[in-house]
Amino acid sequence: MSAPILTARDLSVHLGGKSRTFARPVAPVRAVDGVDLELRDGEILGLVGESGCGKTTLGRTLLGQQRETGGEIRLRGRLVSGLAPREARRARASIGYVHQDPGAALDPWWSIGATLHEGMRIGGVADRVDRERRIAEMLRAVGLDPSVQRRYPHELSGGQLRRIGLARVLVLRPEVVILDEPTSGLDLSVQATVLRLFRDLRAAYGLTYLFISHDLSVVRLMCERVAVMYLGRVVELAPTAEIFARPQHPYTRALIGAAPRLDPAGALAPPTLAGDPPSATRLPTGCRFRTRCVLAAPACAEADPRLEPAGPDHEVACLRWRDGR
Amino acid sequence: MTAPLLSVEDLSLSIRTPEGEARVLDRVSLDLQPGALLGLVGESGCGKSTLVKTVLGVLPPAARATGGRILLDGRDLLRLPQAVLAREVRGRRLGFIPQDPALALNPMFTVGTQLLEIWRWHAPEGEDRGRAAGRARILSLFRRVQIPDAEAALDRHPHQFSGGQRQRVLIAAALLCRPALLVADEPTTALDVTTQQQILSLLGELAAEYGLSVLFVTHDFGVVSAICTHVAVMYAGQMVEAGTKADVLGAPCHPYTAALLACHPDRMAELAGIPGAVPSPLTPPAGCRFHPRCDVAEAGCQARPAGLTPQPDGRGVGCIRFDPARPAA
Repeated sequence: MSAPILTARDLSVHLGGKSRTFARPVAPVRAVDGVDLELRDGEILGLVGESGCGKTTLGRTLLGQQRETGGEIRLRGRLVSGLAPREARRARASIGYVHQDPGAALDPWWSIGATLHEGMRIGGVADRVDRERRIAEMLRAVGLDPSVQRRYPHELSGGQLRRIGLARVLVLRPEVVILDEPTSGLDLSVQATVLRLFRDLRAAYGLTYLFISHDLSVVRLMCERVAVMYLGRVVELAPTAEIFARPQHPYTRALIGAAPRLDPAGALAPPTLAGDPPSATRLPTGCRFRTRCVLAAPACAEADPRLEPAGPDHEVACLRWRDGR
Repeated sequence: MTAPLLSVEDLSLSIRTPEGEARVLDRVSLDLQPGALLGLVGESGCGKSTLVKTVLGVLPPAARATGGRILLDGRDLLRLPQAVLAREVRGRRLGFIPQDPALALNPMFTVGTQLLEIWRWHAPEGEDRGRAAGRARILSLFRRVQIPDAEAALDRHPHQFSGGQRQRVLIAAALLCRPALLVADEPTTALDVTTQQQILSLLGELAAEYGLSVLFVTHDFGVVSAICTHVAVMYAGQMVEAGTKADVLGAPCHPYTAALLACHPDRMAELAGIPGAVPSPLTPPAGCRFHPRCDVAEAGCQARPAGLTPQPDGRGVGCIRFDPARPAA
C-alpha cells in the first residue's frame, strides 16, 4: 500500500444559507458533509454517485476553488485547508482539474495557444520560450499536432477538446489530476481513445487521478479503488474488484444493480430503489440513506454511521451492513 | 413472420446546407415487428435522430426525402399530408417520448392542461374528447406510471416534478391516445442510473401490457441489453446491421458493429478505439461509408450500394463480405 498523497478528514462544504432578520433562516445545502477520503500515490480513485451527491463540489474543494466549511485537507502530509481562497489554490498548485465540459471551459474568442499560454503564465512560468517548448511537448503527448494552437475551440471535435483540456492542466506539471466526468458526452469509439490516453499519461508523468464519473462501466475498467457518495458523504470505499463483487452498503448494491451492462442475454433487474434522494438542505436524522433503504431499522434514525472496516481495505458507513449479506 | 408494424424501405434523405447537399440518410431500411422493442444505436451524427424525425414527420424545411417509403398501417407516411399526419398518425398511432423531459413540457402551464390539450386534438376515434373523459384517462395513466398523488399532480407545473417524475408524465402523455407504436429518443440519457432503471422497467411493463412496439433510440449498449429484443446499428447515415439482440451483441457480423462493441468499457481489452473519424455527410465515401476506417476493406467496398443483405439466421448485414453474390476480389 502506497502513502496517501491527498487526504480529506471530516471535510464539509455548506453552500448558501443565511440568517435573516424577522424571518426563518435559510438552511444551507450540505453539498459535502463529513467526507473522509485519501488518494494514494499513483492510483486512480473512482468517485461515483448520482447527480447532486456532491462529487463535483468535493473535487472543486480538494482543488481549492471552493472553500471548505470544516474539516481538513492535507497534501503530502502538509495542511492546506483553512486558507483564504488565493493561498489555498497556491498551496495546491500541484493539483490539476479537468473540467466536465472542456468546450465550455475554453474561451471561444481565444486561440488554443493563447489559452494554454495564459494558464502557464498564471502558473508562474514567465519565460515564453520555455512555455512554448512545454506546450508543444504536451500537445504531442495528448496526441495532437502543435499546430492546433492556432485554432479556436469551435473548430475542434469533442475528443480533441478533451485532449486540450488535459494538456492545459498537464503543462503545469501537476501530481494529482481531478477528472470531472471525463468521458460524458463522448461517443464510444472516442471514449476508448481518451481512456487510453489517461492511462498512458499516468504512466508517462507519474500522475494520480481522482476520477469522478457516473458511468460504472468506465469506472470499473479504469479505477483501482472506488468511493461511493450519497448526499454529501462517502458511504463505501473499496478496491474496484472487491466493491463490484461484494458491495456492502445497500446504496452501493442498488447503484451497481441499476447500472446496465453490455450483455447479449441481458435483462432488466427489477428496481431496488424507489423515489428520489431527499433534499441536501433537509437531511434525514441518523443515516441519510435510511428513507430509501431496504435494511432500514429504527436504530438507523438515531445514529449517523461513519466509515468502518468491512474487509481488507474495504470500508462502509452503514449500521446494518452485516445483516444485508 | 408477421407483417411489420412499421417498415422503413430504402429511405434516402438530404439536407440543404450553405456548404452543399448533406446526404444524411442513404437507403436506410428498418422493420419493426408488432410487440418488438427495437434499439436503434449508433454514434452521434449517424442519422438515428434524423430517421426518427422523418418517421414522426417533423423534419426541418431544408430536409427532403429523396427516395424510399415509411409504411405504417400500410400507408406511406412520406406521402401523407401534414394535416392527416397530425390528426390521425401522431398521438393516435404513434407516441413519442423525448430525450429531455425538462424541455418537452411548457413551463407556463400545468401538466394537466398540457395533457388535456393532447386529448382534445388526438383522442382516439369514437372516444369522448371532452374534459371529463380526458381527465379520467389522464388520471388512470398517471396512476399506472406511478406518479404519486396523481390527482394533485394534474395541477402542478413541470418544475415541481423531479426529472424521473417528469419523464413519467411524458410517458403518460405518449400513451394517452392509445398508440400502437412508441418512439423513444434517448429517453433516459438525462437521468441517473437508479432513475433510469425505474423508467426502463416501467417502459418494459407498459409495452408488454398494451402490446406496444417500441423504437428505442439510444447510444448505450447497456440500455439495449437491458430492455430491447432487437437491435439496428447505423453508421454515417447507413444501416449496417440489424437483428435480434442476442445475435448482434453476441456475434456481430459487420466490422463496424464489432469495432464499436469492442470499444465498450465492459468489453474493452486493450482500449483500442476506431482509427479515423466519421465522414462528413457533405462528402461521404462511395459505397459502404465505413470502408475508409475498416480493417478488412477490399476493392469492391466502394461499389457496394447501402442496404442490408438478409442472412440465414434472420439478421441483415450491410457488408460486402456477407453478400451471397460477392464479386470475386
